[in-house]
Amino acid sequence: MSEEPNTNYQKVTDRIVEELQAIVGERYVIYGDADALEAYSHDETGGKQWAHPPEVAVRPETTEQIAAIMKLANRERIPVTPRGAGSGLSGGAVPIYGGIVLLSDRMNRILEIDTDNLMITVEPAVITSEINEQVEPLRLFYAGYPMSMETCSIGGNVAENAGGGKAIKYGVTSRYVLGLEVVTPTGDIVQLGGKLIKDVTGYNLVQLMVGSEGTLGIFTKITLKLLPLPQAQVDLLCLFSSPEQAIGAVTTIITACGIIPTAVEFIDRQSFEASCKYLNETLPYQDAGAMLLITLDGHSPDQVQNDYEAVGEKCMELGATEVYVADNPTTSERIWRIRRNIPEAYNLITQRQSGEDIVVPPASIPQLVAKIRRLAEKYDVLIPTYGHAGDGNLHSRLVSKPEWSDEYWNELLPRLQTELYQLTAQLGGRISGEHGIGHKRKKYLAHVVSQEYITMLRAIKRALDPNNILNPGKIFDMEPSSTESIT
Amino acid sequence: MEKRIIVCIKQTPDTRSVKMDEATGTVIREGVPAIVNPLDLYAIEAALNLRESYGGEITAVSMGPAKAIEALREAISMGIDNGVLLCDGAFAGSDTWATSYALAGAIKHLGGVDIILCGERATDGDTGQVGPGIAAWLDLPVATYVSTIETIEKKTCRLRRCVETGYETLTAKLPVVVTVVKEVSNPRLPTLRGKQRARQVDIPILTADDLKLDKSKLGLQGSPTRVVKIVKPKITRKTTLLTVKNEATLDQATGALAAFITETCK
Repeated sequence: MSEEPNTNYQKVTDRIVEELQAIVGERYVIYGDADALEAYSHDETGGKQWAHPPEVAVRPETTEQIAAIMKLANRERIPVTPRGAGSGLSGGAVPIYGGIVLLSDRMNRILEIDTDNLMITVEPAVITSEINEQVEPLRLFYAGYPMSMETCSIGGNVAENAGGGKAIKYGVTSRYVLGLEVVTPTGDIVQLGGKLIKDVTGYNLVQLMVGSEGTLGIFTKITLKLLPLPQAQVDLLCLFSSPEQAIGAVTTIITACGIIPTAVEFIDRQSFEASCKYLNETLPYQDAGAMLLITLDGHSPDQVQNDYEAVGEKCMELGATEVYVADNPTTSERIWRIRRNIPEAYNLITQRQSGEDIVVPPASIPQLVAKIRRLAEKYDVLIPTYGHAGDGNLHSRLVSKPEWSDEYWNELLPRLQTELYQLTAQLGGRISGEHGIGHKRKKYLAHVVSQEYITMLRAIKRALDPNNILNPGKIFDMEPSSTESIT
Repeated sequence: MEKRIIVCIKQTPDTRSVKMDEATGTVIREGVPAIVNPLDLYAIEAALNLRESYGGEITAVSMGPAKAIEALREAISMGIDNGVLLCDGAFAGSDTWATSYALAGAIKHLGGVDIILCGERATDGDTGQVGPGIAAWLDLPVATYVSTIETIEKKTCRLRRCVETGYETLTAKLPVVVTVVKEVSNPRLPTLRGKQRARQVDIPILTADDLKLDKSKLGLQGSPTRVVKIVKPKITRKTTLLTVKNEATLDQATGALAAFITETCK
């Protein structure tokens, strides 16, 4: 870690390990094995500078065990970092002050599928796509669609308020979280919300917890809202000759057709070329400057056909050179995997890169894309850009040229990020739409929010976690640092 | 030198949803999303490439329930000119022998064909017998596992096929039955314009009587194949982790690995 503020955490000793073993059982404590602990030192953020190993990892199975661990940690002043599947993209699960990593993996049961209320209650380590596998035969679905849904866990989705591909129509994770059983940072067990569509009994603490990045509580039971499964879905892959043309079409499609698509993904030339090469996909992308991936779903095949005809024709009218149609799961998967594999394709190309997650009001997306292009030209850097254009959330990747040295890149990257975040802020945007701030982006937080806002965040954290035990050093530091006011 | 091409395709359950009825030994198709057999898409693509090089007309032929017309429309939306569906209660339950008999009857009925293309096999039954079966019923030459259709002349064609030891190139007289592997080309995607055209195209539905077929050779009764038993393979995957801590354990580990490989390859 580059800057480690003065903290008064204690080290994990053999005596504390024994206590942890007494709580969860000896075989569920990982200690003294550097190789095993290394696995819990990083998430998918990429870049060794973000990694830090824990001193000990524990694998509790019950809410009560977690509460006991938190009480112990408070008594001994040891930081605790909760971890889901480790697929995060901002360092949320990285124990930057060491201490205890709390693994949720043993709490992976689906507790109840309530078909009368259209709700499901799960433990945090259930893999997100598993929920849909379980409820699909009941003609229900969970609308969350993070791009990592085959590997991420629902606890992490709630902690990061995951967004994903279907947010334009279905919203983000928070819309579906109705109830939480939470272990507080001080080790109390509290029930928030429940199977209620309406509930104003006190503050909306469920939504305070959603997106709190593991800093305010540990979720042990999660009640989610389900929806009737759409009976038909079609994906359109629309090729445009330029990114401006493609991105310009996004708002027109939505406003002119009177249809809210399930997803509108933008993929620029560099991004789909990298992904197609990675996947050995041979779509005729050579002549395209950018693509839009548009999904439409509905209650009947006829309705979806009418919708995709309208949207497809509008794209042709707005200059699309070709519109491909995927109306079955196999073809749909062929198209979507191009989109989902972009990060993986770039991970293979270079480690010197930063995946960004900027978000602006949806109608500002064309201006944002133009500004990003000018930023790339100014620094002669590659900024492949793709993402959820329909909801204003873009995943630009700042990618080093292969010939650049580590020193040059490490010096350039913060400047690029600062400028990227500033131009995002100028459009009324924020630095993260769905990946979170974690420790990766915390020093930039002050660029896009007011001091009063950060003061409020600190007050909430201090009230719930007076000893700063739970996932410290994420989103913001408790003490203002010197870099906080450079806007 | 325009060529008349026929592509035989099958509608199969979506790959992720293939399930077997253990009592009857047949594939469960009800309530499962259906697609064009993924390996047939390569035959469709090969046909489209041939038409682009030589001109001509492509007809897709499928045998199946009424719903299988969707598979033909999908082929047309990729660029195939016409479709023909063989649909008749008499066909129900046909094995590869009966199916190839019916398809051969349809090809004879359509007449004047130069090249008959099939996928390597269907992802549900996995037999790979229908293509060669058609050739046998029609007494035509057949080339299986074709990776490249090199040239087509007036009366012959040159094909490259995958064999165990590598590739072989052969010349075949037209008309010929060709089953293709994935290497032949990457299938294109259906387009919006293609979908619109596919909805308009009239797809004739032919019965056993239309094709003047011998019904004793069709359907479950006419099929010599009987599924006696379905066995699910046991998952026997086991991991042995060999940890190397120092020089001595390195030798031990490599020794154990070598012994394992020798044992497995016996």
